[in-house]
Amino acid sequence: MHVMESLSDKHAAFFLVVAESITPEVESLDAGGRARMTAIVDTTLQDRDAATRAQFGTFLGVIRMAPMIRYGRSFDRLDSTRRTAVLRWFENCPISLLRKGFWGLKVLVFMGYYGQQARWSEIGYAPDFDGRSGVRHA
Amino acid sequence: MRELDYDVVIIGSGAGGGAVAKELAPMAVDGKRIAVLEWGPKLADNAYTGREVEMARQLYFDSGGVLTKDRSMTLAYGQAYGGSTVVYTGTSLTMPEDVVNRWDVPGIEFDDLQQRSAKYLEENNVHKLDESELNDNNRLFLDGCIKLGYRVQQFPINVKGCRSSSLCNLGCPNGAKQGTHRVQLPAAEAAGVEVITNCRATRVDDGGCDAVVEAPGFGLPSAWESGSYRVNAKVVVVCGGAINSAALLLRSGFGDHLPKLGRRLTLHPALILVAEHPHEISNDHGHPKSFYCDHFWETEKFLLETCMYFPFVTSKNLIGFGSEHSELMRAFSRLQMILVLAVDPALESNRVLVDRDGEPVIDYTMGPTVLDSLHRSMVASAKIFFAAGARRVHAPAGRSFFIDRQDANRVEELIPRSNVIPGKISVTGAHVMGGCGMGRDASDSVTDSWGRVHGSPGLYVGDSGLFPRASEINPYVTVMALADRVAEHIRDNAGELLAP
Repeated sequence: MHVMESLSDKHAAFFLVVAESITPEVESLDAGGRARMTAIVDTTLQDRDAATRAQFGTFLGVIRMAPMIRYGRSFDRLDSTRRTAVLRWFENCPISLLRKGFWGLKVLVFMGYYGQQARWSEIGYAPDFDGRSGVRHA
Repeated sequence: MRELDYDVVIIGSGAGGGAVAKELAPMAVDGKRIAVLEWGPKLADNAYTGREVEMARQLYFDSGGVLTKDRSMTLAYGQAYGGSTVVYTGTSLTMPEDVVNRWDVPGIEFDDLQQRSAKYLEENNVHKLDESELNDNNRLFLDGCIKLGYRVQQFPINVKGCRSSSLCNLGCPNGAKQGTHRVQLPAAEAAGVEVITNCRATRVDDGGCDAVVEAPGFGLPSAWESGSYRVNAKVVVVCGGAINSAALLLRSGFGDHLPKLGRRLTLHPALILVAEHPHEISNDHGHPKSFYCDHFWETEKFLLETCMYFPFVTSKNLIGFGSEHSELMRAFSRLQMILVLAVDPALESNRVLVDRDGEPVIDYTMGPTVLDSLHRSMVASAKIFFAAGARRVHAPAGRSFFIDRQDANRVEELIPRSNVIPGKISVTGAHVMGGCGMGRDASDSVTDSWGRVHGSPGLYVGDSGLFPRASEINPYVTVMALADRVAEHIRDNAGELLAP
């Protein structure tokens, strides 16, 4: 498992919990896939300034605790349907800061998952440095 | 701090800096010392791997995700030997006369720009691909536009020996893209111009600039050792791209007497729509951007272009998440994509600032007219997709994740304007322009029509920052034409500018 330097262990673990709701296939990643995912996200966050990293950590905390208001439980103690409902709320949130924060979270999840070369064959992406023979589909 | 003396320093090596470097190369042959300081690295030919996250990190500022201040948009611009010309798709259009007239800059004439642009079209081997080289993703766009009666044209592109990798935006792995890294910079270096990579200019003044060389951990080593430098120069040409050029001049104090510095930033806000076809189509092989539709350019201020992006970029441009998002991603081999691009107005309020550390802050807000254009562009794109035979369409402002073919005649209703929500929809600035705009004097601009900074005879700007308004087309050839003017002015006035 990749130990993230940009997030605390608690935030890093919670990130993967949320990631499973955003991209369900994350749940079935093997250890190598999860390590690659967190390594990609970690590198990206480390390239940002400390304030941005801190904001992201805070936002993860907000997602974790926000369901307490409606469901009386933290995000990681909800079932998948309610987790999705919570995230939909953030996605459409009238408070732009939260809406944009969720967009940023999604971007990191997608980067960590779809940014892995191992995912290419799963989705049917097959680039070739010499793609000439594939320009016209049979 | 090491101190070095040059006659001319060019900051940045992209479309502007590369063009200036080559045009001043004869001066280097005559013994003048000319250096290009490029913040980014130079990659070896075999370093272009096509791996999305890796190449984005090595070739773009902030891996292609520079955020605006309000975090509703991202900008992707190159940080490399060759600048953004390493990572753009190479579409090469010349600016229409109407746009030149709208710019209304004394000294900027359409015929002059056309003539200079023609030079670069030839130099960069710009041409239209043969019909046999066009993939399904492009053909389907063409077919859809024709069926709907939308005006559609083929992009001329700057390639030589294209092998249809479709990896243009991650750096061409075949050396086919004729960016400044392949054409102008090598020619300049052959004539004696020095190019220093991994070198960031931190401040500029009338006598040169301060710079720092720092190895990024990838790419070829810089010609200079890591450390701080004072680079004395009689002429400085700032070509760092619209954001970094304005930021450099702002933190160097030029904003004190140039009230327009940083202002009137335009970005051509853009987003992607995706459609799924009932069968596999060729999309990840072949040049990704062969056609554009300018049918709505004058009336509704948007352009539509073919495009094809990579898995991560595609995923982040879809709204939503969860199983339906995954389902669409897994249809990658059946996906057709359209990039929509809004022509944004040059507003005083949209600007580049610097924070207390001198780092750029992009204070840009998409106004209602831009959001209107993006909305209308999504409706038009959906119609094109269905006309081309798509079974379902994903529009970021759609009422639902998918619009099915059976609802093709309801796209107006199913993509409401009220759903164009900044911060929910992924919008990127396709082309970054302005901030050091040309004009008459310091009351209305930063530079004159030769790119000279008002009040600083030896200081020029030579990149898209010069644009007083959006180019309304892909800007690269226009950047090179303006850079050509900058270089000409330096050459013509070298006796005075470079006097001891």
